[in-house]
Amino acid sequence: MENTHHKQSFWSKYVFSTDHKTIGTQYMIMGMIMAGVGGYLAYVFRYNLAFPGKSIPFYGMLGPQAYNAFVTIHGMIMVFWVGMPVLLSAFGNYLIPLMIGSDDMAFPTVNMMSFWIFAVSALVLIASFFVPGGAFGGGWTMYPPFSAGGYLDPNPNFFKALFSGTSLLILAVALELVAMLMGGINFLVTTINKRAKGMTAWRIPIIVWFLNIAAVIFMFSVGPLVAGAFMLLFDNVLGTGFYDPHRGGDPMLWEHLFWFFGHPEVYVLLLPSLGVLAEILPVFSRKPLFAYKTIIYLALASAFLSVLVWAHHQFVAGIDPRMATFFSIGTILISIPFAGIFLAFMATLWGGAIRMKVPMMWAIGFIGLFLVGGLTGLFLGSNTFDIYAHDTYFVVAHFHYTLFPDIFFGFFAAFYYWFPKFSGKQLNSSMGKWHFWLTFIFFNGVFFLLFFNGLAGQHRRINDYSSFSLISREPYQTFEQIATICAIGLMLTQFIFIFNVVKSLRKVKTGVKNPWEATTLEWVSDSPPPHGNFNPYPEVFRGAYDYSLPDAEVDFTPQNTPKA
Amino acid sequence: MTIFPENVSTYGQDIDNLFWLILVFAAIAFVISLFVLLYPLVKYRAGNGRRADYITGEKKKHFKWVTYALVALLLSDFVILYVEHDTWGNIESVPAISKNDVHVGIIARQWNWIFVYPGPDGVLGTSDDVYVDEMNSSLHVPVNANVIFELRSQDVIHSFFLANARLKQDALPGRTVMRWFNITKPGKYDISCTQICGILHSKMRNFVLAETPEQYKHFTDSLYAANKPAPVAAAAADTTKK
Repeated sequence: MENTHHKQSFWSKYVFSTDHKTIGTQYMIMGMIMAGVGGYLAYVFRYNLAFPGKSIPFYGMLGPQAYNAFVTIHGMIMVFWVGMPVLLSAFGNYLIPLMIGSDDMAFPTVNMMSFWIFAVSALVLIASFFVPGGAFGGGWTMYPPFSAGGYLDPNPNFFKALFSGTSLLILAVALELVAMLMGGINFLVTTINKRAKGMTAWRIPIIVWFLNIAAVIFMFSVGPLVAGAFMLLFDNVLGTGFYDPHRGGDPMLWEHLFWFFGHPEVYVLLLPSLGVLAEILPVFSRKPLFAYKTIIYLALASAFLSVLVWAHHQFVAGIDPRMATFFSIGTILISIPFAGIFLAFMATLWGGAIRMKVPMMWAIGFIGLFLVGGLTGLFLGSNTFDIYAHDTYFVVAHFHYTLFPDIFFGFFAAFYYWFPKFSGKQLNSSMGKWHFWLTFIFFNGVFFLLFFNGLAGQHRRINDYSSFSLISREPYQTFEQIATICAIGLMLTQFIFIFNVVKSLRKVKTGVKNPWEATTLEWVSDSPPPHGNFNPYPEVFRGAYDYSLPDAEVDFTPQNTPKA
Repeated sequence: MTIFPENVSTYGQDIDNLFWLILVFAAIAFVISLFVLLYPLVKYRAGNGRRADYITGEKKKHFKWVTYALVALLLSDFVILYVEHDTWGNIESVPAISKNDVHVGIIARQWNWIFVYPGPDGVLGTSDDVYVDEMNSSLHVPVNANVIFELRSQDVIHSFFLANARLKQDALPGRTVMRWFNITKPGKYDISCTQICGILHSKMRNFVLAETPEQYKHFTDSLYAANKPAPVAAAAADTTKK
């Protein structure tokens, strides 16, 4: 295929673009804006937790209804409007065509639609704050009957119910899932059909593999949730009773449908970030990725197991006690492939020639923090200990120790690593190091002490603990305050990053194609890659991780280097 | 500062012990993993013309270390599962109700816990049941007796959490869940709701008041005396009953 150099208007180049790089960038910017919104919500409710009853700077007084809504929407945003678009869509769109040596995604127009549906979903979500009654405040899990509306409104009305915070949230999530489905189909078809000559399955970089496995897990698990979400919407606006026990429904049905998606979703978020690690660790260790094929098999095993663990979120929900044992075993089993992947990553470091550049620091920080998240999962995977720890701050701290490194450390590692490719420019590395260390320290400051609050019995989603004697005492209130101060520090730290990006973008292009001396195909393209990506199209002769080959002169051999 | 709130139930210590057991496994795994992660960053720094070893990790002699670690992890997981299994069964299965046990009902509603005492006949679900629907009314129970309760919800999902007894159980509308506890020390213990249930979720608190058997008898006697059977009202109040 020829590169096309026809003139594009501003609209078709930057707004309604079908270029995978522009769409990836749009997803990334949108995700970062939403991260700002989610962070602001977190700031407001964390401030309230540390200083209950005080007026919050840049917000004002926070009532219980708004508190519930903020906690709920914070979770929703960070999972569906930050994690998904940034990890899956932004890097998937940007990197898959470049890394398999293609000019674009298989369905560029579907890709563009995917982004704009996503943008609409974000607007619907934000709009839900401004309808009468405000945004939904029943937790991101949206358990009915609380989310089924009927109990809240004595005079049901179709339009009032449709334009309620609850319905808008369900709609926003449904739209977001549609956008991600379109993206997921694109990932699969592109990877299957549009690979460069010689790019066989066992030469595809891990991140492309993982993005595709994530897309498959997502597609497999999302169906029941969409069906469940429509039933929930009907309960709200049409007065059906799918989840209403007084009319033959069952709220437990939603719990199963939600978590059948909700738990695999965790792996949908995790796999792309693990892919980022798989790209960065070999480059900065100058060593082949340890056990490339085994890692792929482990990820496939985890994809299969991911749909067998959902009810570990329901150990205390009143499910059959024997069923809990089954899901406990499933949870144990799925920890094995992921532990294997992390161990293989760590093994990659051994015997390397390690360059501690900024992306590498984020990657190592990711593994270190995830270690805490993963090991505290041992406590919660045990159904018996979960009787006590369920819905406490132990759980809150645990999943932030998994999702924060996953989403943010994964994102920053990737961003610092691929920014020279995105822009043709380099980020300032001392600012990058400050950004890393402050983020790392403040993150631990926010969540480590909260494990102790959870073990002391502090339960979640409470705006005022004054009623509870176990918690409204020292040192737990001090821990809350430390957490909040660190959270504010964590958010302020991100301005270093923004400043760094803005400043670097104003620099002159270096034009360096391959600053990290990496082997994968995106580094063969110009920086930034032109419309059409490659000229001429590369041919692939070897695997993705040929570093320090014994008989090679330099310590990296790009994939398009013919075999001797 | 202690890690857990004071344990006052018969099975609470098992849960605390389980925590320490898992902590031992987790701490060992954490220290080893952290070493494996950080040591090479010091030992294998680039520089001085160092060139990385070419190890693909596909060979058995390299991969065996990962296998050992995974087997160790799997074994410790199953040790945990084995140890916890009896405790799980103990907490989640309700003992047969004997004469010395107390049988009560707990009904969650936005936003309070309603307690149902079995009445003079000692049998729950009969017309002499007494409903106590007041804020901070406290569920009175005798110490060292099995308290078997039927948990229900009148509206949305709530969750009954008695941290001092290490017990948590969701209350779902349309279902009756049986659970039990046995409190060994007199005192007043917080009940909180751990499933977000609306605007006053934070205020959905009540207490379990564990008393000596004599105090408990005194309490129930005066409660039953003050609530002479009003069968119609009692039956009507029990709306979620099958």
